[in-house]
Amino acid sequence: MSGQDAPAEEPRSRVSVTRWAADLAMGGRFAVTGGRESWARTIMTAVGVGLGVALLLLASSIPTAYELRGERSDRRAALGFEVDPKPGPDTIRLGQANTTYRDQDIEGLVMAPDGDSPPKPPGIGHLPHPGQMWVSPALKKLLDSDDGKLLRDRFPYRTIGTISHDGLSGPSDLRYYAGITHKTFDRVGSDYRIDRWGTKNVGKPEPLNPALLLLIIVGCVVLLLPVLIFIATAARFGGERRDRRLAALRLVGADIHMTRRIAAGESLFGSLLGLAVGTGLFLLAREIIGGIEVWGISFFASDIVPSTPLALAVAVAVPASAVMVTLVALRGIAIEPLGVVRNATPKRRRLWWRLLLPLLGMALLLPLAGGFGSGSGGGDMKAYQAAAGAVLVLVGTTALLPWVVEAVVERFGGRGSVPWQLATRRLQLSSGTASRAVSGITVAVAGALALQMLFTSVQAEDATSTGQDPTRAQLMVSVPVANGTQAHDAFDRYRTTKGVRDLLGVTEDYISDVHRSKDDPSSVPEEAITIADCPTLREVVRITSCKNGAVFLVDSPSYYGEGEGFAKPGAKVNLAYHDDGTPDLREKKVWTIPRSATKVKPRQDPGGGERTGIFATPGAFDVADLPDPQASAMIRLDPKVPDGVEYVRNASAVLSPTIDVMRLTSTEQSDEFTVIRKALFIGATATLLLIGASMIVTTLEQLRDRRRLLSVLVAFGTRRTTLSWSVLWQTAVPVVLGLALSIAGGLALGVMLLKMVGQPLAVDWTGLATMTGVGGGVILLVTLVSLPPLWRMMRPEGLRTE
Amino acid sequence: MTPAGSLLIATSLHKTYGHTPALDGADFSIHPGEVVAVMGPSGSGKSTLLHCLAGIVKPDSGSVHYNGRELTTLSDAERSGLRRGEFGFVFQFGQLVPELSCVENVALPLRLNGTKRKEAEDRASAWMERLEVADVAHKRPGEVSGGQGQRVAVARSLVTGPRVLFADEPTGALDSLNGERVMELLTEAARESRTAVVLVTHEARVAAYSDREVVVRDGKARDMAGVR
Repeated sequence: MSGQDAPAEEPRSRVSVTRWAADLAMGGRFAVTGGRESWARTIMTAVGVGLGVALLLLASSIPTAYELRGERSDRRAALGFEVDPKPGPDTIRLGQANTTYRDQDIEGLVMAPDGDSPPKPPGIGHLPHPGQMWVSPALKKLLDSDDGKLLRDRFPYRTIGTISHDGLSGPSDLRYYAGITHKTFDRVGSDYRIDRWGTKNVGKPEPLNPALLLLIIVGCVVLLLPVLIFIATAARFGGERRDRRLAALRLVGADIHMTRRIAAGESLFGSLLGLAVGTGLFLLAREIIGGIEVWGISFFASDIVPSTPLALAVAVAVPASAVMVTLVALRGIAIEPLGVVRNATPKRRRLWWRLLLPLLGMALLLPLAGGFGSGSGGGDMKAYQAAAGAVLVLVGTTALLPWVVEAVVERFGGRGSVPWQLATRRLQLSSGTASRAVSGITVAVAGALALQMLFTSVQAEDATSTGQDPTRAQLMVSVPVANGTQAHDAFDRYRTTKGVRDLLGVTEDYISDVHRSKDDPSSVPEEAITIADCPTLREVVRITSCKNGAVFLVDSPSYYGEGEGFAKPGAKVNLAYHDDGTPDLREKKVWTIPRSATKVKPRQDPGGGERTGIFATPGAFDVADLPDPQASAMIRLDPKVPDGVEYVRNASAVLSPTIDVMRLTSTEQSDEFTVIRKALFIGATATLLLIGASMIVTTLEQLRDRRRLLSVLVAFGTRRTTLSWSVLWQTAVPVVLGLALSIAGGLALGVMLLKMVGQPLAVDWTGLATMTGVGGGVILLVTLVSLPPLWRMMRPEGLRTE
Repeated sequence: MTPAGSLLIATSLHKTYGHTPALDGADFSIHPGEVVAVMGPSGSGKSTLLHCLAGIVKPDSGSVHYNGRELTTLSDAERSGLRRGEFGFVFQFGQLVPELSCVENVALPLRLNGTKRKEAEDRASAWMERLEVADVAHKRPGEVSGGQGQRVAVARSLVTGPRVLFADEPTGALDSLNGERVMELLTEAARESRTAVVLVTHEARVAAYSDREVVVRDGKARDMAGVR
């Protein structure tokens, strides 16, 4: 046999499972026994994969966390409209007493049992007696703190205990149950009864709105695909050094298939270690997340449990993908006994299938333009079609990146400064590594940008629809009162409250047509009557002159044609009403509208509402004559007094525990959208940082591999700045290309999404600028972190061979 | 040989790496256009001597005078400047930037000195022609043979017209035929341009191209003038 014969390769079909296992195990052994370099590589892979696994486990816990949180919320729900029982021994009377303290929402219920065996909400030992309350731990902490001093005045109850885990949706839940007397319920606007706690649908969440489903699917792709890409990048950490070790194995007789299996084993070990690291990081993150609140949502650590199928999928898919990535990475190189040969002419990247993906995506999205969520049926199908289209566009944009990077850097000639030349030539030699690292950026930024566009547009529409005018009044309060005198007293109380500069108070009720039949009160035409002083009336109707005793009429076009209402100057109207809210047609209480009453046009009040009917000054109508009035106060705050709104809320609590004080804003943003936008921004930023981390690792690895070359460059006098700039350019070129591509892809997807939901085109320039800024930050970060090791490696010690 | 008229003179150089002494009172001198072979067994300190002479490494003590300047007192930037302009280097392996083409590699020292690309590459091409590697000008180092690569490296070391060329085992990775051709071209070119060559080698047939031999043993350099 000739000594030049290649080592005999065993036929693949005959490779037994034992052989596979032995080679994989050998790879695993190399991962730990190959000295410092092997350990460094294994640790890098494990930490990289671990970070990805931790994120995946956290993501797979979201459904369970929401489910458990939702279940507890469902169990404690007090829904009167579902049951509405008559008072009895097992019923309890309730009033919603939610309030807000410095932008923190506090949920509360005031309650009084009707009998001896009322049901109690989960999480408390017994129902609170009048003057007692149970509070959530977070509310107790707030009340006990200096920050909560002002809030204490709002709760005239003694705290008798804290609500346990069972009765809370999350650890930051601000919640209380307070006991009040039945007499106090006279001051509660809308009380109701229940005979059990919880909804009928505990644990049965309602099917998701298709549009929401679309957002969730696209959001998951945007945030999780980069994590998967990062895991794939992490599996390649230290690949070049591993290849050299494999060459040494070839020298002692391993065939090419064996070396591949050994490499796979090494990768498998790293990723299995990564699974363990990821599980550890996840458990750590779980405890941390259990203690923090983000935009009013918090989870107990025990809620954060990955869903079993998803966790299993992570446990299987991560090591499997690490092995697959290793095998794919080995495809382009030949490991020979005397070294590693990379294919001199790597295969040119093909464009057609990379273009096909986004085009297919667009083809799926185009038919939905203007028809999404139109209620024409097939909502779920449309959602899946839209999600599939969006995913294809995003994945396609990512797949395009390596081609774009390759095509662009190929066009760079040898022009430019030395650093630029070094960087571009390096990219021309191997743009794959850079493209892989940056591809995560593409999907995250493109997706985030598209969704931000959608939210910006929807929010812009929301903001214009409030109609509120905070320049005329800043707060609006609806006070439940039994009669006009109480309304008057309530207004006086607000006027003397600290921080209140002025008050516009209206007292409202209904009147009915006096001439109608006695038999059918439900068909009797009604009109509203509003009693207020002249300055207040000027805020709700368009009047030029007004003095006490004046009456104005605004036609209500919804009931009758213009000018055909029964409330006319000189007309008689009925003020009498039954307790159930229907006009009392038998014992009428008649009031004649003065002949001097003038017809006027309505005006939007500061709260954005428009009133119609009769508008009378106190001199023309005594509020005490109103049988069941409603008092509304529009309050102007003194901007010099901090916490003015909290003083008003405290004053309201004295009037009734269930008064809600509304803050007027002209450009209110939907909380949900704000939360999603911020979450998207944070997610995309985190992704960019994660990718920055993987770029740092690959850059450092590349520098380490070029230690000797760097020393040679130093030997013939290369400046530090020259190589520093080349590192910067080497990072910047792919990141900038990635950002450019993601902006193009994001804008295209955004336009499609806007067309689908029928929204006007609006580009989120701030989001775009922010993302570009973060991308620039990543470039700088990678360069800055790479500089100290670069400078360390630019030392003559690298020239020593002995 | 006396140091009188020397271009580069080192006196009593000491250098220790950790607890291992690499140079222990080594002296050295070289005249313009002279080719001096530094010989010695592996680990004797010959490469460290070259690094100290070239201002790559600062000796722990002793002095290195180049053209009237004391190298050991120069700042890092000044020594780098000197290396860029006045010195050239050839190493055994791993010295060409793999992503640059051969002509770009040769032009690199000129470009680092601020020469425009076109001019730098023209001068690089001329040197490549002289070293018989013009045909691989646009290939990357990974695509050329070891001998060609080493001749590209020699062209790079001479392109700036250095006054001293430092060559550390320049033929160590080549077969004898290629090694001899590289040495012929290197010494021929150096002598024509009156470039002094400090040639570190442990091969007698490479040292045969020199005018004088210095043997380094246990960190001490002994001039073998007249011995050969």
